[in-house]
Amino acid sequence: MFSGYIYPNEYELQWSLLIVLYPYLTGLVAGAFILASLERVFNVKALVVVYRLSLLTALAFLIVAPLPLLAHLGHPERALEMFLTPHLTSAMAMFGFVYAWYLLMVLLLEVWFDYRKDIVLWSRQKKGILRYIYLLMTLGVTDISEKAVRFDEKAGKFITIVGIPSAFLLHGYVGFIFGSVKANPWWSSVLMPIVFLFSAIVSGIAIVILIYIVTTLIRWKRPDMPCLNKLAEFLLYAMIIDFSLELLDFIHRLYESEESIHILSDLISNRLFISLIVTQIILGSLLPMAGIVLARFGRVHDEMRRILYFISAFLVQVGIFSIRWNVVIGGQLFSKSLRGLTVYKVELLGLEGLFMTFFLLMLPFVILYVLVKLLPPWTEPTHPA
Amino acid sequence: MKFFKLPQQLVSLFILFFIIIVVFIIARRIFVPATFGVYGHYRASAIDTVKEQKINYAGAKACYECHDDIFETKSKSYHKDVSCEVCHGPSAKHVESGGDFAPEIPRQRDFCPVCHGYNPSRPTGFPQVIVAQHNPGKACISCHKPHDPTPPHTPESCSACHREIFSRKMVSHHYSLACTTCHTVPDEHLANPRLNQVGKPAAKEVCGQCHDKAAESDKEIPRVDIQTHGGRYLCWDCHYPHDPEVKT
Repeated sequence: MFSGYIYPNEYELQWSLLIVLYPYLTGLVAGAFILASLERVFNVKALVVVYRLSLLTALAFLIVAPLPLLAHLGHPERALEMFLTPHLTSAMAMFGFVYAWYLLMVLLLEVWFDYRKDIVLWSRQKKGILRYIYLLMTLGVTDISEKAVRFDEKAGKFITIVGIPSAFLLHGYVGFIFGSVKANPWWSSVLMPIVFLFSAIVSGIAIVILIYIVTTLIRWKRPDMPCLNKLAEFLLYAMIIDFSLELLDFIHRLYESEESIHILSDLISNRLFISLIVTQIILGSLLPMAGIVLARFGRVHDEMRRILYFISAFLVQVGIFSIRWNVVIGGQLFSKSLRGLTVYKVELLGLEGLFMTFFLLMLPFVILYVLVKLLPPWTEPTHPA
Repeated sequence: MKFFKLPQQLVSLFILFFIIIVVFIIARRIFVPATFGVYGHYRASAIDTVKEQKINYAGAKACYECHDDIFETKSKSYHKDVSCEVCHGPSAKHVESGGDFAPEIPRQRDFCPVCHGYNPSRPTGFPQVIVAQHNPGKACISCHKPHDPTPPHTPESCSACHREIFSRKMVSHHYSLACTTCHTVPDEHLANPRLNQVGKPAAKEVCGQCHDKAAESDKEIPRVDIQTHGGRYLCWDCHYPHDPEVKT
C-alpha cells in the first residue's frame, strides 16, 4: 500500500493503463515506418519483402493510436475541437496536427503512391463492390503508363524522405510530452524524446518480425531468411543504441544525484522492480539481445533461427511495453514531496480497464487484416530463398 | 502553348486536399462559437452561461445575520475558518425564504471523518482519528460540539505519576471523569504517596451513582439494576473502571 508522505491528489493515478498503451502504439507506428524507409531511401534490398507489410502495419497501428486517448478523456465528441480552435502553446493540444500530418501527408500518401498501379489494375480486374472500392481509391487517376509509374516511384521516395523526420517527430513528440514535465524528476529529461524514438524503432522492427513470421506461417510460405536476418540485425543495432541511451540516462541521473535520487531509487527497488529490472532489462533487453546474437551469428539451423527470432521479438515487445509502463505509471507512483510512494491498481472492466486495453491492443491486427485483404503486400523475394 | 503539365496524380491530390481544406474552413465557421477568443482561449459567452446558473450557497455572512450566537462561539473555535455550508449544505433557499427549508444537520458518524478520518497525507497535528477504533458506534456530536470542537479535556492532575492509567482512561468512555470521582485522595498523597495511599471504592454503589437505573445522570450512560446485576460480584470483578469497554 501507500508508504511515506503523499499529497491527497496523488493517491489516485490520473494517467492509467491506456496512457501506457498510447506511446506503445505510436512507437510501433514510427518504428514500422522507419523500417519501411530503410528499403526505400537507404536501398536495403533484403527488406523489400516486408516493405509494404511494414507500411500497412504502421497505418493499422496509427489508426488505433488516438483511441486510447479518446477513451481516457471520455469525450470523443470533443476530439476535433483541437483542430477547430488550435492551442498553439500547448504541446498536448498539438497532437492533432502531428497526427494529421503523419496520417495524411506521410502514411496515406506513401501507401497510395506505392499501390497506385496495383489499385488501378485491381479496379479493372475485380468484380462487385470491391471494384468500386478500388475505383474510389484511384481518386480518378487511372494512368499507369511508364511515365506515370515512374512519377509514383519518385513521389514515394520524396514522401519517405519527408516521412523519416515526420516519424521522428511523431514519437519524439510523445517523448517530449513526458520529458517536458519539469516538475517530475522521473520524466523531466532532454534524453526522453531520443530514448522514446529508439525504443520506437526497436518495437517497430520487432512487431514486423512477429507479423512477418506469423503471416508466412498462415500463408504456408517459407519465410525469406535473408530478409529475416537483416531485420534481426537492424533490431539488434537499434536495441544496442536504445539500451546504451537508457543506461546513459540512468548513469547521468545517478551521477547528478539530485534531491529526487532517494525516492527514485526507492521507486526502482520497490514499485518497479518487476517491471523495470525483470521485464524491461532482463527479459525485454538482455535476453532478446543474446537470443538474436545467438540466432544471427551462431551456427543454428534456419528453423531454430526463426524460433529464436520469434521469441526474441516477442520478448522485445514485452520489454518495450514495460518501458512505457515504467515511464507513465512509474512517474506517478512517487509523491512530489519526494517522500512517499503510492500504488496503482489496474481496473478490469470500465473505460480504462484491462479489457479495454486488450481490445485496443488487438484492434490494429483486425485493421491490418482488412488492409492486407484490400491491399495485399506480398512481394516474392528477388533472390532465391 | 504548353509550359508545364502537372502529373494527373498531383492534380487529383490537389483537388482532394482543396476539398479537405474547404470542408475544414466551413467546419470552423459552423462549429467555432462566435464569441470564442474575445477574452482568451475560450468561449466568452461561457461566462454568461455560468452567471445564469442558480445560486445555491448563501455564504457564511448571511448565516451570521440571524445566528449571531453561533458566530460568537464558532469564531473563537478551531472551526472558525470552516464555512457553515461546508457541514450544513447549500442554504440559499433557507436564507431567501427567511428561515424555511431548514438546512441539513449531519449527525451521522460518517460525516466528520471526511476531514478528521486518518489520512497519512494530512498535516501532522491536524486532529485525525481511526474511525473503527475511536469510540465505535458513538455519534461524534455526543462528545464534540461542532461549533466549538475543542476536544473534551481529560483531567490530568494525577497523570504525572499514573501516566499509563491516564492514557488508557483518556480514550475510554470514562475520559471526562476526574480521578477523584471514584478515588479519595489525601493531601499528603502527593508528598508521600506510599504512606498515604488513595482510597478505592469499596461498594457497588460508587458505580451506581451513574449506572444505576435510578441514578440522575446522562441518558447515554448504560444502566443496570445495581442491586441485582452481577449477583454477589463487585463491579470491577468484571469491568475495568479505567477502560470499561474491556472485561477483566
